[in-house]
Amino acid sequence: MLDDDREQFRGDARRRLLLVGGCLGAGFMVLGGRLFHLQVMRGGEYRTLAEDNRISLKPIFAPRGRIFDRENRALVENSPDFEVVVVPELAGPLRMLFKRLGRHIDLSEEEVKHLLQQARRQRSFLPLRVKSHLSWEEVSSIEVRIHEFPGLDLQSQSVRYYPFDSLACHVLGYLGEPSDGDRKRFSRITFRSGDQVGKSGVEQHFEELLRGREGVLEMEVNAVGRHVRELHRNPPESGEDLHLSIDFDLQKEAQEAMGEEIGSVVAMDPNTGEILAMVSTPSYDPNQFIRGFTHAQWQALSTDPDRPLINKAHQGQYPPGSTFKIVVALAGLSTGKLDPREQVHCGGFLLKEEQRFYCWRRHGHGSVNLIQALTQSCDVFFYKLAERLGIDAIERQAHKMGLGGVTGVDLDAERPGLIPSRAWKRKMFKASWYPGETLITGIGQGYVLTTPLQLASMMATVANGGTVYRPSLLRLEPGQAPDVMSRNNFSVHHLELMRQGLEAVVHDPTGTAAKARLEGGIRAAGKTGTSQVARHRREKSGQIIKSTNEKLQDHALFVCYAPLDRPRIAVAVIVEHGGHGGSAAAPVAKRVMDRFFTKYGSSS
Amino acid sequence: MNESESGHSWLSLGGTATVAWTERLRRFPWSLLLLLLLTIFFGFGVLYSAVGGENNLWLFWRQVIQSAFGIGIMLTVSLLAGEKVYRRFSYLFYSGSLLLLAVTMIMGSVGMGARRWLEVGFFRLQTSELMKVALILALARYFHDHAKAGSLGWRDLGVPFLMILCPMAFIIKQPDLGTAVLLAGVGLSIVVVAGISWKVLLTMVIVLGASMPLAWNGLHTYQKQRIITLFSPERDPLGSGYHIIQSKIAVGSGGVTGKGFMAGSQSQLDFLPERHTDFIFSVLAEEWGFLGGVTLLVLYALLIFRAFLIAEMANDRFGLLTVVGATMLFAVQVVVNVGMVLGLLPVVGVPLPLISYGGSSMVTLMIAMGLLAHVSLYSRQHGRSV
Repeated sequence: MLDDDREQFRGDARRRLLLVGGCLGAGFMVLGGRLFHLQVMRGGEYRTLAEDNRISLKPIFAPRGRIFDRENRALVENSPDFEVVVVPELAGPLRMLFKRLGRHIDLSEEEVKHLLQQARRQRSFLPLRVKSHLSWEEVSSIEVRIHEFPGLDLQSQSVRYYPFDSLACHVLGYLGEPSDGDRKRFSRITFRSGDQVGKSGVEQHFEELLRGREGVLEMEVNAVGRHVRELHRNPPESGEDLHLSIDFDLQKEAQEAMGEEIGSVVAMDPNTGEILAMVSTPSYDPNQFIRGFTHAQWQALSTDPDRPLINKAHQGQYPPGSTFKIVVALAGLSTGKLDPREQVHCGGFLLKEEQRFYCWRRHGHGSVNLIQALTQSCDVFFYKLAERLGIDAIERQAHKMGLGGVTGVDLDAERPGLIPSRAWKRKMFKASWYPGETLITGIGQGYVLTTPLQLASMMATVANGGTVYRPSLLRLEPGQAPDVMSRNNFSVHHLELMRQGLEAVVHDPTGTAAKARLEGGIRAAGKTGTSQVARHRREKSGQIIKSTNEKLQDHALFVCYAPLDRPRIAVAVIVEHGGHGGSAAAPVAKRVMDRFFTKYGSSS
Repeated sequence: MNESESGHSWLSLGGTATVAWTERLRRFPWSLLLLLLLTIFFGFGVLYSAVGGENNLWLFWRQVIQSAFGIGIMLTVSLLAGEKVYRRFSYLFYSGSLLLLAVTMIMGSVGMGARRWLEVGFFRLQTSELMKVALILALARYFHDHAKAGSLGWRDLGVPFLMILCPMAFIIKQPDLGTAVLLAGVGLSIVVVAGISWKVLLTMVIVLGASMPLAWNGLHTYQKQRIITLFSPERDPLGSGYHIIQSKIAVGSGGVTGKGFMAGSQSQLDFLPERHTDFIFSVLAEEWGFLGGVTLLVLYALLIFRAFLIAEMANDRFGLLTVVGATMLFAVQVVVNVGMVLGLLPVVGVPLPLISYGGSSMVTLMIAMGLLAHVSLYSRQHGRSV
């Protein structure tokens, strides 16, 4: 190697070492400077903060946002609640403390064990919640002896209060201790011991809005941990209030109309998608989640076969039965495969490939056109129509009307329902689609599943002329445009035909839903449905033998809107094992709509 | 290929294979060892205070043993090895370390949410520690073999960058941002000294700056939180801002002369978390004040300066770059740790060299110091003043 090459390297490396060293030197100067700034220039300031006193930081919990109905009636509030906390670092041996405390408050062996575990997990200078929801006796008993317990503190805190107990409980939801899933989901939130988080309903869906931001209290404390004075208060930001689209009166009416029945009611403004009422039965009392359950109570609630914790409105999936005929009819009209004047003969069943597909009416409907078929819910008419359309066309129309997918409502864990297709069946069963399956799909049986919310939305879509809105649980502010999910281009003529057919369901003497006729002569349009739960046995003559087992009874459905000319409310009702839609579900919808029109008047 | 003929070597020893023992001892950089010992003893004082208040004095004695072990390792690494041993095995060492990192990724044990350790018999091997040394040696070897007069362009840097980025990727995934930052700092400074072209360096700085938002999105939520908190710790005073606020109070209240040995109220009253590991500098600053803090910084600066002298005297590029890497491994940790304690840098887990409690960090640093001494030992210009 040449000498000057070597020298060049050497010189270059020396320069570069100087650069790196210079950077380091600058870094050290910055560190020294910062040290000088903190210790020499601001040392006095920090010394007062730390010298003989220390700073103790105490969280101030932010009040959770309240929840109102559309007319500003509070459905969820906060109320004060006393709890006792201890700072383990100041308290001495915890086991001893809990033993002594046990004379004043009710502390079970199990709770003590849990607390000791908790204490090991968190920092010893952070308060540990010993017991919440103290009774008044407990509060006063501790208050007079608080000096005997160093590190112990009584705190009042605001807790969730649901003034109307179970009313709208599924919409509102309940609170619970954060699970690992919640911690992952709300990674921006620092949860503390005893903290609560929305577990269902809007409490869950709008958690981050409702929660707000905790504040902090900087206290000066002396060497034994007694608070000397407040240094600084960083006030909490309370959570935002929610204004729901729910109408308290309608909600109450709907819930009462359901009575002891199991099922769901959804009422919606067809012009905006705002949900006016959403009922799921049976219900529960969300206050109980705040007070806490006994093991047996929780066991009973969580394993109840009627599933009170589930919101059936958006999580219950049912075969839509004859209410699905609306979709099939619109598919027929829009594809041009159905002539509205066409007469179809119903002799009580349709024979296809040696198999009998029965109409609900044993002796048949005779000759019916579309309007008559809707009015009387003739199954044979829709078997034939479905056969002519094919499953693909039905599937397309159903999707266009918002079925078979989540609606996007402001609730978590929404179920999508199911609109079967060839591809779906191939994937699920590795089998091809049978023509017979198209027939039963045509009357809303077979694989089809919908949620009550989807049915209400479907009815709203028919009512408003084809727009599928995102169902909203929040009240729209004046001037706020509703979210549109999709639009159908129904022709005016077809809509008019549907309107006539659905009106006749309620108002024609042969209609299946005479029980839904409204007070004050307001005209409504509707469709009944009966969805089969178990396969019925039939005699040779075709006579159905109904089981006497209540759990095998059919589900009763009814969907409707009113008034006819300018629809302002759409309702879907499902009564599990209720039998016929016309007799079990229609009266519920009628009560809700009657309440609506007596409240808001019949003209807009 | 023989080095002396290849023309790659910068300064060849001309085949001097062995140096007599007495000669090795004579050439050993005793002043470096002295500075190290001073720092370590200084650290004992601080650590004793940090753990002495509670019944954790055993931590202190463990650290004493670990330090003695560290010194032993340093002597072994520097005195026992032949001249070209480290260069010869550098790639093998690197590959092995990378492999171990990969194995750690798959089957390492999880502690505090991170997957960083391999269970080897009765002790836990933190594989990223091996990688620190391995990376230094491998990069030094690469630039030694691919020496080029003038400046290194993009094409010359592809392989070294891969050598830096591969282990970083594994370590970020663990996740251990502190170690990853360390590797980047060490790697980059080797590249700079090895002769990166100024244009490339400038471009990199600009690109790096521009890609910050992208990197930001790649961070874990808790890591973002730390950076946000750095600039306004008051936003989350009980959570991620807690360390910074308490540390600043501890440091600030120390004043010029400090509160005295074991008299730091912040440190002694449990207000300072992790005070014997990552936050030990605040104990020092609180109890021994500005004078104590500056003394330690000066000790560190002297050590680094002494190390740079060794670099300057190195016989070849491998030696020079090894020294640069080993020194930077030390220096970057000082700057990052102290910067973090003083609330200038985000809180990443980097210990304070030779002071923080912890065996693996101590051993790694002493290996690095051993390499430093080793290079000094074989430097032909030994004893020549600069």
